[in-house]
Amino acid sequence: MDRPVYLETKDLVVGYDGVPLLSDVNIQLHAGEIMTLIGPNGAGKSTILKSIVGYLESIGGMVYISGKPVGELSAYDLSLELSVMLTERMRTELLTCADIVETGRYPYTGRLGILSDEDRTKVREAMDMVHVWDLRDRDFMQISDGQRQRIMLARAIAQEPHVIMLDEPTNYLDIHYQIELLNVLRRLVRTRDIAVIMSLHELPLARKVSDYVMCIKGDGVVAAGPPEEIFVPEVIDELYDLEPGVFDPVSGNIRLEET
Amino acid sequence: MQRQNEIDDGFGRSVKHRRVVVVFSAIAVLLVALATLNLCIGSLGVPFEEVWPILFGQGADSTNYQVIWNIRLPRLIAAALLGGALALSGFLLQTFFNNPIAGPFILGISSGAKLVVALTMIVIVGSSGVMTSGMMIVSAFVGSLIAMVFVLLVSRRINSMSMLIVAGVMIGYICSAATDFLITFASDANIVNLKNWSLGSFSGANWNDIGIMTVVVVAASIAVFFLSKPIGAFQLGEQYARSMGVNIRVFRIALILLSSLLAATVTAFAGPISFVGIAVPHIIKRALGTSKPLVVIPGAFFGGAIFCLFCDLIARSVFAPTEVSISAVTAIFGAPVVISILLKREKARR
Repeated sequence: MDRPVYLETKDLVVGYDGVPLLSDVNIQLHAGEIMTLIGPNGAGKSTILKSIVGYLESIGGMVYISGKPVGELSAYDLSLELSVMLTERMRTELLTCADIVETGRYPYTGRLGILSDEDRTKVREAMDMVHVWDLRDRDFMQISDGQRQRIMLARAIAQEPHVIMLDEPTNYLDIHYQIELLNVLRRLVRTRDIAVIMSLHELPLARKVSDYVMCIKGDGVVAAGPPEEIFVPEVIDELYDLEPGVFDPVSGNIRLEET
Repeated sequence: MQRQNEIDDGFGRSVKHRRVVVVFSAIAVLLVALATLNLCIGSLGVPFEEVWPILFGQGADSTNYQVIWNIRLPRLIAAALLGGALALSGFLLQTFFNNPIAGPFILGISSGAKLVVALTMIVIVGSSGVMTSGMMIVSAFVGSLIAMVFVLLVSRRINSMSMLIVAGVMIGYICSAATDFLITFASDANIVNLKNWSLGSFSGANWNDIGIMTVVVVAASIAVFFLSKPIGAFQLGEQYARSMGVNIRVFRIALILLSSLLAATVTAFAGPISFVGIAVPHIIKRALGTSKPLVVIPGAFFGGAIFCLFCDLIARSVFAPTEVSISAVTAIFGAPVVISILLKREKARR
């Protein structure tokens, strides 16, 4: 464990308008790792992610990115450390997919945002990595939701951060693109030493892709650990309020009621 | 071929060099042509071949010289500068509210400026003072900021684009109604001044006014141009902009102040003028085939200048010697553009 810790939270308390929703969130994410937050709908996975990047003010505790308290980083410094891919649907006008990815180079360009040759090479690399270079001249509004997700991932990669945060990245994707997206993430953390933190709904995917899994329910973290410790019937049944034997977290098999 | 795909240009992939050159050449040609027409046409026709010598100071004692230097040239510069200011103000508001039909007039910001200017005029002229153009701008700026605060308060509570516009139109109506009350109760001497101005016209600008409006509009427009980069990030939404390092608070305040200042300057000198702020940025984006602020901002500024030169020419020449209010003409050409935007959005939603 001599790899640097890119993201760390200490006794983080998150919530809305000063009302705590989850407390005692302790995360330690190293370079080259993927951490996944799982848990029932509305448990607060997105709330944690939003608090880490400062969209929501955290109620207590600390967040450190590359060892520095997030509150002390300027917006610019933070943009060099962390990039995001969000679920909200964007509405753009007359912008090509390449335009969108190019915005990832924002922290590196000058006052007018004109891209250098190096910037364009980085954009190309990011788009190749997610296999969307063919879409470069298409209008961002006229491609499928799944393609848009991949463009947004390429954008996050082009920003060259230490940490990428993804909120439900597999939404709108069919199984083919879900698998491809997760493959890209694995390749990313291995080759570029990036750390990834995300929320996922699909348990079989989370089990395969994650180095570390955190289960969110009620007022805090109910379980955390490597996937082989989390994806056992006791933990998952408890987390999602399942009857024993209804869901097999390893095979993904489910058993429906007899009718 | 591979290399060409890779190395495009630094402005953004959707910005096509040839298209940009064509559009800006067309803008330059139209600007010169309309400026010349505006100088020649009028109750006293000035022959085309006399215009250039007069502009270079020849024939200083002729009537044509007087007409051009004292009436038409200041009016032309006012129309061009204020048209550009309106288009930029509209573009900023569209960016801010992420709403393609936002603009200073439709959101009631011009009317707010009008109300406070009318109020100041009555108070100051009533106490037999003289209203300077600096005071006009300041009171218009105060009025536009007050209206802007109302729009912002409303926009916090509603998410719907169309409801925001309705709320803005209502704020505009309230301000206009209040202005009408003021005019009704104002003393005779004020009324003549106020009525002409509150209908909207580029006439009546003297060289002193031109100096002040040039300084304000050019400075604000350059500031807008240097916001191209954060505006481009903001086009992806507030959260993405923040993740790219944009200081959202500072950026929002800059947008509000600049769009209000530009709208206020227009209202101070020419009264409220409708639809330029919506129609021109839309047409420029379509023509350039991109919404990259780096090219859209200069395009919208000069496009607004052309649009207002054209509308002013019509306003004062079609029913000559009677002059139509400039807002009536801009509405005739601008409103159909707004309708086409709405139809296109509806179609896109399917």
